[in-house]
Amino acid sequence: MTAATHLPLRARIGEMPRDARDTLFLLGVIALIVLPQAAHLPLWCVGLALGVLLWRGALALRSRPLPNLWWRVGLLVLALAGTWLSHRTLIGKDAGVTLIVVLLALKTLELRARRDAFVVFFLGFFAMLTNFFYSQSLLTAAAMLLALLGLLTALVNAHMPVGRPSLAQAARTAGWMALAGAPLMLALFVFFPRLAPLWGTPNDNMTGRTGLSDTMRVGSIAELVLDETIAARVRFDNDQVPPRYTLYFRGPVLSQFDGREWKAPPPWERGSVSAELRVRGEPVGYEITQEPSNRPWLLSLDAMAEAPDIPGLRTFQTSDLQWMTYRPLGDLVRYRAKSYLDFESGPLRRSSGLERHVALPAGGNPRTVELAQQLKAQIRATQPEGDITPRLVEAALTRLRTQGYSYTLEPGLYGDDTADEFWFVHKAGFCEHIASAFAVLMRAAGVPARIVTGFQGGEVNPVDRYWTLRNSDAHAWAEVWQEGRGWVRVDPTGAISPDRIGQFRRLAAEPGLMAGALGALSPTLVQNLRAGWEAMNNRWNQWVLNYTQSRQLDLLKQLGFDSPSLADLAWVLLVLLISASLAGAGWTLWERRRTDPWLRLLGQARARLKALGVDVPAHAAPRQMAQLLALHPDTARHAALRDWLLRLEAQRYAREPDASALAALRREFRSLRRAPPAPG
Amino acid sequence: MAAVDPSTAAAVSPTGASAAPHGFSLRQRIDAWFLARRTPSDQITLSQRNVYILPTRAGLMLGVTLAVLLLGSINYQLNLGYLLTFLLAGCAAVGMHVCHGTLRGLDLHLQPPEPQYAGSAAVLRVVLHNARRSTRFGIGLAVYGLRSKGKGKAATAIPWAWTDVPGQGQATVEVAFQPPRRGWHPVPPLTAETRFPLGTFRVWTVWKPAAQMLVYPQPEAHPPPLPAGQPRSGQALATASTQGAGEYDGVRAYRRGDPLKLVIWKKAARAQAAGSDDLVSRDAATAQRHELWLEPAAAALPDHEARLSRLTAWVLQADRLSVDYGLQVGARSLAPTQGEAHKRACLELLATA
Repeated sequence: MTAATHLPLRARIGEMPRDARDTLFLLGVIALIVLPQAAHLPLWCVGLALGVLLWRGALALRSRPLPNLWWRVGLLVLALAGTWLSHRTLIGKDAGVTLIVVLLALKTLELRARRDAFVVFFLGFFAMLTNFFYSQSLLTAAAMLLALLGLLTALVNAHMPVGRPSLAQAARTAGWMALAGAPLMLALFVFFPRLAPLWGTPNDNMTGRTGLSDTMRVGSIAELVLDETIAARVRFDNDQVPPRYTLYFRGPVLSQFDGREWKAPPPWERGSVSAELRVRGEPVGYEITQEPSNRPWLLSLDAMAEAPDIPGLRTFQTSDLQWMTYRPLGDLVRYRAKSYLDFESGPLRRSSGLERHVALPAGGNPRTVELAQQLKAQIRATQPEGDITPRLVEAALTRLRTQGYSYTLEPGLYGDDTADEFWFVHKAGFCEHIASAFAVLMRAAGVPARIVTGFQGGEVNPVDRYWTLRNSDAHAWAEVWQEGRGWVRVDPTGAISPDRIGQFRRLAAEPGLMAGALGALSPTLVQNLRAGWEAMNNRWNQWVLNYTQSRQLDLLKQLGFDSPSLADLAWVLLVLLISASLAGAGWTLWERRRTDPWLRLLGQARARLKALGVDVPAHAAPRQMAQLLALHPDTARHAALRDWLLRLEAQRYAREPDASALAALRREFRSLRRAPPAPG
Repeated sequence: MAAVDPSTAAAVSPTGASAAPHGFSLRQRIDAWFLARRTPSDQITLSQRNVYILPTRAGLMLGVTLAVLLLGSINYQLNLGYLLTFLLAGCAAVGMHVCHGTLRGLDLHLQPPEPQYAGSAAVLRVVLHNARRSTRFGIGLAVYGLRSKGKGKAATAIPWAWTDVPGQGQATVEVAFQPPRRGWHPVPPLTAETRFPLGTFRVWTVWKPAAQMLVYPQPEAHPPPLPAGQPRSGQALATASTQGAGEYDGVRAYRRGDPLKLVIWKKAARAQAAGSDDLVSRDAATAQRHELWLEPAAAALPDHEARLSRLTAWVLQADRLSVDYGLQVGARSLAPTQGEAHKRACLELLATA
């Protein structure tokens, strides 16, 4: 071990040859660009890239020569083969990202000429963009800003050919340039017309996204409860939030049951029938920002009567009041909507379309079927005529309330007949167990019933007043059909645990170690920190990620355009850019004119002397000018000017130059001009 | 990465010698017209009027990169991609201003050029004044009109002299060049260039100094020894005869056969310290009667330039030996004496002969 290894890092970097130091810096920046997307790249690609970077770093540290052509060609062939094996293609998004990352790493092995270095920089910019395919969060943005500054620093440093300039100097220049370039970035970002994709991009499935799905296996929502990520944010008009227990956000409606799993029927089975929505009362206006779900539906607060306006996205309503889109929502979407909390839907008379809502798999849940017949018989005994649905529902809810059923996150293992197990064995379950068992009971009694999944409740973020829906707010409830009313919501979970609905307390998973420690310090600290962070993220979403064409046009409207179009945007941008370049030109012009005030005053004096007929050489000093002036016929005015010139000289060469003295001299010079010509 | 030497790129610049002869001559004509428009001056302040800017090949590459980034952002609807693209574009635009500002406002001042010998590398000293507070980085100076020869790896780079100019300070740059022929010449036009900070733009200026430069003939590499002195005429001869022989009061160059005791070892030591092997002998008696006249006839070469070249070498040799020498070329002559001023006068005579 040499002595050098014991030196502090700073000193060691200071001792390194410039070549090695610059190379290591660039390698570090490249690692910063590659690492955030490592989780989305094939394992071999990350391994190869990091291996090459480490190898290159070791070569730079030891000042060893770069590997020869055969190595580079071999590695390139390996990378191409790996990409082909991983993606079965060399084009397309995923293969492209893999290739860019590998090429970026491999190119560092070939940093000979200036052109190679530029190729690394430009590949680096592309690799920064590919990060955004996977995440556009605030953290990613911060990391990439750092990486951009790093690349610019390396670029600036590469253009300081003299000596061994400090990286801090290059970083200062790069930072200054980024700061000065920010206004231009802002103008372009705000006014550059947002266009639809120019050509179809293969919609790669973003796997691993959690959230609601269009199937509900008993137990799946309980898993969601552990997921504290945000599903959507809602801003109610005037911040008038309806009572919390009324906030049912409707997601997929599931009406096909196979014994274990509830499924949404395929869209073509639902789209043909009208929803027959009947609403009452005033609608609630709100704006909802839905996180990317990669599912083709919108969340809506209960019943949305009219399609929300989402640019570039076509929507339609299914017969079960769900709003669908024609493509999965891979990005953040935001839309304004009006919802009615008081509504009914569906046919008023029993029709054939309802029959599939009473279907149950044959032979399943025998005890529940038996219970249904029992309940039905009891009610028929007292009410032989008419619709008994309300009384059936009431009976089931009474049973849930009074017979020791409980709401739990850990309902235990369920077998095949989930409804039987809930009603008779476990007597405990999460919302989907309860809703599912309830719906099965209703169907067994011949009442059309279906499951609605979505979100219930939510909470307000105290920082930015947005109503926040988390995946842990996911909920499942039931709807039953009644003669003369249509579909009516029944939330059986509320019967067991009124807390779940309408209260702020819900079943929550145990906090992690870190959160636990913080929570012990101050119970509200964790909550406040989280609220602040989420409010920041929300602002980022609202202002940056969801800055869409419609917001651009809104902005133009606020700027006074009557019916703004994309062309207007382009015009505004053009005018801004032209004025910016004019400002730049004006600044350089001003800079050119800007001379030393003393010299400017001297120039004015020279012009005055010329007007008096005294020819003064261009670089004459004040004293010389005074001497030249003395050669001319003397007047009082000349004497004053001579005296002024000598004092101008004295001011310049005074031990402690006084700026106010110069101002006085300037005033005096002006008054000399105004003085009437001396007589004679 | 620091292998990014701006000169490398300059060597492969598209203005290389690969241009067709026709285009080359057209370019030369444009250059000549362009230079003729400028008034020569030994001092120049760079401003918009005389600083030019064009994107480099890397700059065009950056443009393409920005276009692709923008396309990617549009196609994948990445608002963060837009931000990245536009920030990069903003930086490039600011970089353009910074690049132009690196030369704009700079004062260049040519120091009076020293006389040079033809055929050997010479330097011009240029002082760069920076009135601004911040440092100006990466400014290169070279003689204008030098073009890289060949292409790719075979190209010889333009010998840029790179410097940084500290804020409110100055830097002196020595620009190397090969003086052409002997005689008085105008100083060649100079060019200053920078690619700081991003290398995406090339900002340059062309400057025609007013100073004239004296180029001496190229000294012959291995000249024969100095010729023998000639008998003095008239009074000098008479004086010599009265003094008689045996007086050691003169020196002359060592000739083969001189006895060792005649060698002035003190001078030999001094000459050796100055890097020369020439020996000097005491000139007994003859010194006063002979004086060294250098003239083309003595050079015994057919070519006029070669004779001047040999005379130049002899002047330098005689000066090193501190002997009196005179020079006669054509109708012009300089009486024998020695010293720095005499040497310069002789060399100037040779340069302009």
